[in-house]
Amino acid sequence: MGQIDDTLSPDTVIPPADPNVLVEAINVHKWFGTSKVLDGVYLSVRRGETVVIIGPSGSGKTTFVRCLNHLEAIQRGVVRVNGQFIGYRERNGRMVPDRPRNIALQRRDVGMVFQRFNLFAHMTALENIIEAPVHVRGVARTEAEATARALLARVGLSGRENAYPVQLSGGQQQRVAIARALAMRPTVMLFDEPTSALDPEMVGEVLAVIRELAKDGMTMVIVTHEMEFARDVADRVVVMDKGVIVESGTPQHVFVESQHPRLRAFLAKTRLHVAE
Amino acid sequence: MSFDWPFFWHYLLEPSSLYVNGLVLTVALSVVSQLIGTALGLAAALARISRFRAVQAAARFYIWVMRGTPLLVQIVFIYTGLAAANLVRFHDVDVGLFVIAGNVQAGILALSLNEGAYMAEIIRAGIASVDHGQGEAASSLGMTQTLLMRRIILPQAIRLIIPPLGNQFNIMLKNSTLVSIIGVPELLLVTETINSATFRTFELYTVVGLYFLTLTTLWGFAQRWIEIRYSAPSRDGTDTTVSGSRRFTFRNLLNAATR
Repeated sequence: MGQIDDTLSPDTVIPPADPNVLVEAINVHKWFGTSKVLDGVYLSVRRGETVVIIGPSGSGKTTFVRCLNHLEAIQRGVVRVNGQFIGYRERNGRMVPDRPRNIALQRRDVGMVFQRFNLFAHMTALENIIEAPVHVRGVARTEAEATARALLARVGLSGRENAYPVQLSGGQQQRVAIARALAMRPTVMLFDEPTSALDPEMVGEVLAVIRELAKDGMTMVIVTHEMEFARDVADRVVVMDKGVIVESGTPQHVFVESQHPRLRAFLAKTRLHVAE
Repeated sequence: MSFDWPFFWHYLLEPSSLYVNGLVLTVALSVVSQLIGTALGLAAALARISRFRAVQAAARFYIWVMRGTPLLVQIVFIYTGLAAANLVRFHDVDVGLFVIAGNVQAGILALSLNEGAYMAEIIRAGIASVDHGQGEAASSLGMTQTLLMRRIILPQAIRLIIPPLGNQFNIMLKNSTLVSIIGVPELLLVTETINSATFRTFELYTVVGLYFLTLTTLWGFAQRWIEIRYSAPSRDGTDTTVSGSRRFTFRNLLNAATR
C-alpha cells in the first residue's frame, strides 16, 4: 500500500468541496500490477442520497467502493469524504500517502459492509457491535450496549445478542455486520455486494434492512447484482464497465430509457429488464 | 548388572536439598525463559509483518541466526564467549529474596533468545491464520493496526499458538539441561555432581529421567487445561479446541500427556 505519490497529476482538476456532497471521487485510477482496474472514475454522492453501482463482474465496482475508505490505494485522482481527502494529504502541490493514524480517524465516519460479513469470530453479536464504539470512539460500555441492543432490534435480531457468528445464518450475520457499522454513527455507508454470499432465501431480509436505511435518509453507496433492489432503492444508479462509469441516472433512466450499448448488453445478460 | 534399588529409591523419593534446588532451578529457568522467549517471539513476529523494511530485515536476521546455530553454542557464546572478549560479563544480582547468579542470567538469556526465534514463527503462523476479512472490517471501523492486532487478531491467533507453544515448553524443560555446561546447578548438573561422588550412574540417570518425565507429563495436563480454556465458540453452543474434544476428562488428559 502507498508508495505511489503522484496522484495529483496535471489532468486532475480538484474543485472546491461542496458541503452538500458527502462522497466524491475525482478521476480515480487504479492498477493491480499492470492491469488497470479503475480508469478515471468520477462520482459525487450528495447528503442523504442512495447511489447503487451495477455492472458486469470485473468492471471495477467492488474495487471502486473499497477505494472510498482507502481499503485500496489509488494511483491517480482523489477521493474526498466529508470534505477531507481520503488516504492521502496534500504536500507541496502533490498528494502523498497520509499517516495510518489519520486514515483510521477518517474511517470512523465511513461505515462498510462486506460481501463475506467479516464479523469478529471470537465475539458475540453484541460484542461485535460495541467493539469499535468502546475501543475506537471511547463510548462508555453501558451506553454502547444500549445502542447495540437498539440496533439489533432495528435489524430484527433482538434476543440474539449473545450468539456467536458461527451460530447465526448468513443473513443474520450480515444484519449484525450492518448494525456493527451503524454503531459508529457513520455519515455514509458503503456496501460491497452485501447479498452476494447469501443463500437466496436470506437475500430479502438483508435488503429490507438496507431499504429501511435509505428511507431514513442514510447516505449510501451500494454495489450489488440485485437489479430489482437497485431499481427500488436507488436515487441514482451508476453503471460501471471496464473501470469507468458508462451511464448514470435515475433507475428509470438507466433501466428503461438509456440506449447505451454496453449497458443494454449487460442488462440483457442479467435477464431482468426492469421495464415491464 | 547390579542395580542398587535402595540407592535408587532413596534418590527418587527422598531427594537431597541440593537435588530439590536443582529441580526448582530447572522449572524456574524453563518458565522464565519461555515467558521471555514468547514475548520476544511476539515482538519478532510483529516485526516480520511491519511496514518498515529495516524492522522486517532485523527480525529475519535474528530468527535466521538463532535457528541456524546450536543452542549449546549459543549458551557458551553468551556466557563464556562474550566474557572472554571482554564484551559482557554476567555478575550476580541480588534481588532481595535471593541472588540470581551470573551464569543463570546468561542461561536464561540464551534460552530466551533461542526460544524467541521459534516462537516468532509459531506466532506469525497464528496471526496469518486469522481470516484477513476481519482485519479489513476492523480497519473500516477506524481501528489502528495496534488496536486491531490486540483486540481482533491476537485473541484468535492464540488458539492456534497454544498447542505448539505447549510443545515448545515441553522442549524447553528438557533443553534447560544444556545450561549445565556453564555451571548452572539445575537437575542434570546436580545429577552429575552426585554421580562423581557415588558412581551410581545408571541409577542416578534413571532418577533424573523420571523427574523430567514427571515434569513433562504434568505439563501435558496443564496444556490440555489451557487449550480447553481458550477454545473457540462452535455452532451448537459448545466449545471446541483445535485438537477436537473439549471435555476435561481423565482420558483426555492421558491422551494429552502421552500424545
